[in-house]
Amino acid sequence: MLKIPYCILTAIAALTFVFIGLGSVNRAVAQTKVTVIGTVVDSLGMPVIGANIAPVNTKGNSTATDGNGKFVLDVAAGTILKISYVGFVSKEITVAANQKAIRIVLAETKSQFDDVIVTAYNRKQTREAVVGSVTTVKPGNLKIPASNLTNALAGQVAGVIAYTPSGQPGQDNAQFFIRGVTTFGYKQDPLILIDNVELTSNDLARLNVDDIESFSVLKDASATALYGARGGNGVILVKTKEGKAGKAQINFRLENSASQSVKTLDLADPITYMRLYNEATQTRDPLSPLLYSENKIINTQATINHAPGSNQYVYPAVDWINMLFKKRASTQRGNLSIQGGGGVARYYVAGSFSNDGGILKTDIRNNNNNNVNFKNYQLRSNVNINISDKTELIVRLSGTFNDYNGPLTSDGSLQTQLYNLASHTSPVDFPAYYPPDSANVHTQHILFGNVASASNGDGASKYLNPYAELLKGHQRYSESRMLAQLELNQNLDFVTQGLNFHAIMSTNRYAYFRSYLYYAPFYYSATNYDKTSNTYQLQWINNLPTGNNVAREYLAYSPLESLNSSFMYLQGVLDYSHTFAKNHNVSAALIGTEQQTINGNAGNSTLLTSLPFRNQTLAGRATYSFKSRYFLEFNFGYNGSERFSENHRFGFFPTIGGSWIVSDEKFWGDLYNVVDRFKLRASYGLVGNDAISNRRFFYVSDVNLNGGSPASFGLTNGYYRPGVSINNYENDDVTWETSKQINLGMEFTLLKKINVIAEVYKNNKDNILQNRASIPATMGLEAGIAANIGKVESKGIDISLDGKQYLGKDLSIQMRGNFTYSANKYTQFEQPDYKESYRFEVGQPVNRYYGLVAERLFVDDKEAANSPSQLFASGGVQPKGGDIKYRDLNRDGKIDYADVAFIGNPVIPQIVYGFGLSATYKNFDLSGFFQGQAKVSFFINPATTSPFVKSPETQYTGNTQLLKAYADDHWSEDNQNLYALYPRLGADANSIQNNLQTSTWWMRDGSFLRLKSVEFGYTMPKRIAKVLRVKNARIYFNGLNLLTWSPFKLWDPELGGNGFAYPIQKVFNLGINVNL
Amino acid sequence: MRSYYKYLFMAILAISCVSCKKYLDVTPDNVGTIDYAFRNRNEAENYLFTCYSTLQNMVYPQNNPGFTTSSEIIFPNDLSDYYGIDPVGFNLIRGSQSSQNVGLNYWNGYNGGQPVFVALRRCNIMLENINKPVDLTAGEKKRWIAEIKFLKAYYHFVLFRLYGAVPIIDVNLPINSSAEEVKVKRAPADSVVNYMVRLLDQATPDLPVIIQNQEKELGRITQPIALAVKAQILTTAASPLFNGNPDYVNIKNKDGQKLFSSSYVAGKWDKAAAATLAAITACEANGSALHKFIPPANVGTLSDSLKTVLDLQTTITEKWDLNTEVIWALNPYFPSQTYCFPRLTAKAAASPDLPGTFAVPISEQELFYTNKGVPINEDNTWDYANRYELRTGDDANRFYIGNGYETVKAHFNREPRFYSSIGFDGGIWFGNGLVNQENLYYIQDRGSSSFAGPTDNIRINITGYFPKKLVNYLSVYDEGYNMVNYRMPLIRLAGLYLQYAEALNEQGKPYAQVVPYLNKVRARAGLPGVVEAWSKYSKNPSKFTTQNGLRQIIHQETRIELAFESEPGWDLRRWKELQSVLSKPLQGWNIFESSSINYYRPRNLVIPVFNVRNYLWPIAADDLIVNGNLVQNLNW
Repeated sequence: MLKIPYCILTAIAALTFVFIGLGSVNRAVAQTKVTVIGTVVDSLGMPVIGANIAPVNTKGNSTATDGNGKFVLDVAAGTILKISYVGFVSKEITVAANQKAIRIVLAETKSQFDDVIVTAYNRKQTREAVVGSVTTVKPGNLKIPASNLTNALAGQVAGVIAYTPSGQPGQDNAQFFIRGVTTFGYKQDPLILIDNVELTSNDLARLNVDDIESFSVLKDASATALYGARGGNGVILVKTKEGKAGKAQINFRLENSASQSVKTLDLADPITYMRLYNEATQTRDPLSPLLYSENKIINTQATINHAPGSNQYVYPAVDWINMLFKKRASTQRGNLSIQGGGGVARYYVAGSFSNDGGILKTDIRNNNNNNVNFKNYQLRSNVNINISDKTELIVRLSGTFNDYNGPLTSDGSLQTQLYNLASHTSPVDFPAYYPPDSANVHTQHILFGNVASASNGDGASKYLNPYAELLKGHQRYSESRMLAQLELNQNLDFVTQGLNFHAIMSTNRYAYFRSYLYYAPFYYSATNYDKTSNTYQLQWINNLPTGNNVAREYLAYSPLESLNSSFMYLQGVLDYSHTFAKNHNVSAALIGTEQQTINGNAGNSTLLTSLPFRNQTLAGRATYSFKSRYFLEFNFGYNGSERFSENHRFGFFPTIGGSWIVSDEKFWGDLYNVVDRFKLRASYGLVGNDAISNRRFFYVSDVNLNGGSPASFGLTNGYYRPGVSINNYENDDVTWETSKQINLGMEFTLLKKINVIAEVYKNNKDNILQNRASIPATMGLEAGIAANIGKVESKGIDISLDGKQYLGKDLSIQMRGNFTYSANKYTQFEQPDYKESYRFEVGQPVNRYYGLVAERLFVDDKEAANSPSQLFASGGVQPKGGDIKYRDLNRDGKIDYADVAFIGNPVIPQIVYGFGLSATYKNFDLSGFFQGQAKVSFFINPATTSPFVKSPETQYTGNTQLLKAYADDHWSEDNQNLYALYPRLGADANSIQNNLQTSTWWMRDGSFLRLKSVEFGYTMPKRIAKVLRVKNARIYFNGLNLLTWSPFKLWDPELGGNGFAYPIQKVFNLGINVNL
Repeated sequence: MRSYYKYLFMAILAISCVSCKKYLDVTPDNVGTIDYAFRNRNEAENYLFTCYSTLQNMVYPQNNPGFTTSSEIIFPNDLSDYYGIDPVGFNLIRGSQSSQNVGLNYWNGYNGGQPVFVALRRCNIMLENINKPVDLTAGEKKRWIAEIKFLKAYYHFVLFRLYGAVPIIDVNLPINSSAEEVKVKRAPADSVVNYMVRLLDQATPDLPVIIQNQEKELGRITQPIALAVKAQILTTAASPLFNGNPDYVNIKNKDGQKLFSSSYVAGKWDKAAAATLAAITACEANGSALHKFIPPANVGTLSDSLKTVLDLQTTITEKWDLNTEVIWALNPYFPSQTYCFPRLTAKAAASPDLPGTFAVPISEQELFYTNKGVPINEDNTWDYANRYELRTGDDANRFYIGNGYETVKAHFNREPRFYSSIGFDGGIWFGNGLVNQENLYYIQDRGSSSFAGPTDNIRINITGYFPKKLVNYLSVYDEGYNMVNYRMPLIRLAGLYLQYAEALNEQGKPYAQVVPYLNKVRARAGLPGVVEAWSKYSKNPSKFTTQNGLRQIIHQETRIELAFESEPGWDLRRWKELQSVLSKPLQGWNIFESSSINYYRPRNLVIPVFNVRNYLWPIAADDLIVNGNLVQNLNW
């Protein structure tokens, strides 16, 4: 037990020694004679930011250029300065004694290929030297008018499949997968590292784009191997900005957005609702009484017409969606960053806030604000200190703080259910609230409408009143993560040339709490309506003083979960790079890391969940390159995870890769004029994934020795023992998923303008943990048994291209596009020996749904009766004409679960693409970006969308509203359309059980193309800026999710089958960005 | 310089922590594993209770096929609130059973069933580890082993009654068994019986004769219980369903092994008779006797008729330690009194919590004898043809029927067990707080405005008859409620007497040897002996002289005596009589009518669906796919 802190302590102590020892030496003192003020520009005259300026022949301070390509440096006269920047040919100049201002033009090396790429463990490489598959994204491309970075991923990053299933502020994280879903196991999403530290997708979502220096996605084995058993699903690597030497630069940005739903549900009007409700009951049972009488319909029509003598409280016609939701919500975002520094220290300090509003309405009678509001604050400070010219210390401190306020939910989640509730409440059964009648003039509470439940013995009301649910209370949560990180970069040239040491110690603490505040609404119904005097009396429904349905005017408070966790990370890297005989470059690195997370009181606080989560890595890399033309790289990760038994605890994950810059060969010759750069690369290797299950330790049996299956004996059963239950059987064999990945890539530049990167890959994931399907009940197991059985093969293509063209002095056009295709299939999956071949998963894509094959609707009752029987519940109802006819796949004369086949495309898109254009003319810029997905299906959930039927989700007690599309196009006796949108109506789930099955009838094409963003900006002319003492100022207007093209019209296709969720938002944003 | 090397070396070493392999060993040594369940006697006893727990979970009548499919109870399937009762078991007689979705699935443990194979695995784990607790005395260890063996036998019996031939789970297969090893086969029914009997024979000597420490141990298995269960198993095995049932000739394992013997073996009845007699002898030797009412101090004088009713009514509701007749009951209290209790007062009628939904059909009511001790259609003194004619309660019948209350003739002149078991419109209710025999409640359940009549679609008794026997007379439901709990017997002495009579008759013994055991039960019910009753009052006076006639008498006697105790449902199955019982519609009165003339009209409520296949449960279709070695029962 004591050994663990000992390890960490030793590490820290050792680091401290190294750093103190080295810090005290080599303190060079330069003789200052000349102050050089320089500007570094590229061949087009654009400033080169971050170029390194260092003296060559003497010891002295070095610096880097600022955001305008400027630097200031004090040097002795005669000093030779080397100006270098990745992607440019280095230049040396000698400082003359009288030299004050220098303009240095750096020539670009060959092409834009030579971007800096940040690869594993934040290693910076030129693109030409990269062997693995790494996509980098310019942080600016991730800037969209949304307070959630993950929303920008779809279509921006070749190799990332992403989609956003909800638009609710704070709950709108995109789902994203690198190269698609490659496993059916527990963890499918990538490892996310921000400044080397593993964080969650929530942390990524909250990251402020302006703080990001680089954003890389590591996709193949070669790129991720160093992460060993954690990199199997790819890695997202984000590095935050560091300060640059120079005068303080201040950058601030303010944005104000208005958002509205991309699409709202089109519901039928109340009159159609009632008429079709009656039709729904009559068509199933002609003898059944009509729920809505002609009198009720006429009077409701009068309400709608505001006819004289109508009464909107007795004959309500409520538009619940309008009642609950505003048209628009507003969001404010702002951030401020300051960076600068001198030779000794550089700093980057940034703060930001965002305030996202929701579209829920509030009521003036209620100061209990329930609208969704999500606030995010961040503070970040990165300080680099040069202790000596060989030793750099970096301190990163950051904090992210979120405050959420939103409506209550009955299932305890944060996703608001109000949209769902509004669409599952009849528009005509009760009004949202009553105005006080004479008996209630002094009543303090809102008189919410409702209907007494059938027995009402306990004061129960029949429905949930959405308006009361909206107003009755709110929940809030508060979340914070504070991170402190110390990094040391030590040049060990004195040991041997080219040796460096980097160390990181990082810790962060996470805290979260949540609570509810709510009152209990008072429900009333109107009785004794007198038509002639147009009066009614209110009857209080939940009028019992005790029980489960007590009304309460004052607020009650209930605390919910409070979570906290602590995280600790240590990393040491020894790095060596050497060029010998001019053309031979070798490099090697050895990396050790150690990581621990401890949860304080995570939801299910059992002993096993309280134990620390740990892993340990020893990783290494060796590279060799010849003439910067041939590259060979070997990587390995030797990784240990605490999840597995001792014989499976450590795994070895090697990879090998190589690349060849073909265009550098002599034979390339004249092709250079067309393709001036051509590179091939290939890699092969293993990576792993240790997050295979939410169960902690398969190798330890998990037994509840104090509960589970009790018994009691004795005269009064007084001798009670709680019994023993088994949650997990000891299983030493469980180990990680392994993925064997092969990646082939091709990069080229056409006509010196268009860069293309195309990759194909194949990824065989095996040892996927799966519950054994072969264990019969007779084994008598209390818990399932899992084994590393499953295998999934995935393959795909990623293509990205970008280009830039100057058209004259003032106009430039940039375009970029990318395309990701990822397909996969089970190659091994344990299933029982079905008789029907179509029931086997093997060969099927992951996330493909299965369901019945719908042929059409039955022509009439007679056909339905003579077809194979379609009964889906014991005592179910035989289908009739107009109900869905299914195909009897196994021809056994009955439709049942053995006729279920895999249908449609997977529900996670197989193709995600994006393309955009931007143009700059003088001070104006305009850009547009399109994003789309294809080869994806989704399923309308008939159980929750069928009109008049209660949703199976018990929290929605009302009858489902009628979608206008269903009202217009359904099978009826008068419209016997065999391919109508909706089959024969029915007013209860039992009578339409047949139509509620998952089937091709409800399957829809989920592909769409969206105009994801459009931005129009104006940059203040330099001369005006100068007057205002501003370096740069830009004002811009942009929009998000502006237009969508999709074959599906009922709701936004990105919501998938979840059509009654908080809609995806369309955003209009005005922003200003100023550099001082 | 050299020192830097050293520091550097240390730093790298420490951080990569190659030496610190223990870093990843985060599970402490004392994480509770299954070994801890057997570290000492105290923990092991906890595990023993776990082995018992599945049995104790079987206390819910709605999950007992013997209760729900016996034709004794109808439970509506269209209530707006089932008040905590899962109707799946009651729906089985409506034909809802299927191999796709097995109701009351005790094989897998869902849809109301208990996971019996899980219980068997627990028992075997206990036996594997029984030597581990260091402080467990040899004597106690022997007793616990015997109890576990008993439980193993009983759990197999639970499956046997439902499925006939089932796999024998004598030892646990290891967790890492291969996919082929786990595909166990069904064992022939006779092998299962032999296995259960062998276990019980091994267990019996090591079980206590009686429970000494009743405060802590009442309910643990004793010798008489083991003997009685053995008798029950052998009787079941000798019965027509399993003894040479021609229907099951073709149920064979895939290797051709027959699962049910096709020839009738008379010797099975000899074994059953011997085992039943042994059980009776052991029980009587330990003080078992038929129960008589033990009046508490506040009960005043009781007429003989009421006293007999209370003898019978308290046979199951009397406290176990005071009730000499109970051989074995489950410790958890009977949980369903509120479903059997009629609302007797205005306050009870206004309360939302007394559903009273367990409804007894007319056919069950008519099973009970007349006060002469013979069936109502055989009694030559009883007006069977006009039994639905109205008649008003009078002074002479005031201990049975509300004085001056109009009801039907059928409710008059019935045997005391009728009045103790069935609550009917006009029937006197001794209890619910009133114990003065001249001032008692009687049930009024005609129409929605009557106390016990249908209040809404939640509190409704759809036949008009309540299983009064299942309510303790001490339970009170008025403004508030005070349920006085009792434990439902699994085996009681009267049942053993009847079972012995049955076995003797099946052995072909002359009626003179058989009827004494019937007469013991009849005498306590206030009825004359079989010979006297039939000779004097039956239209078929010599019925008892033939084996077949006597069999009918025994079967009816058993169904009456043990009504609502779940056993008749199982008996009807093993006799292969359930199909004919469920071939007629189940009827009730016209409950929404308030006038007696309209109320007393039988309505068909359920047309039961029961085919030959329903005698045994289907194995879930999924199980047949997972385990290709399993074969399905007849016609599923």
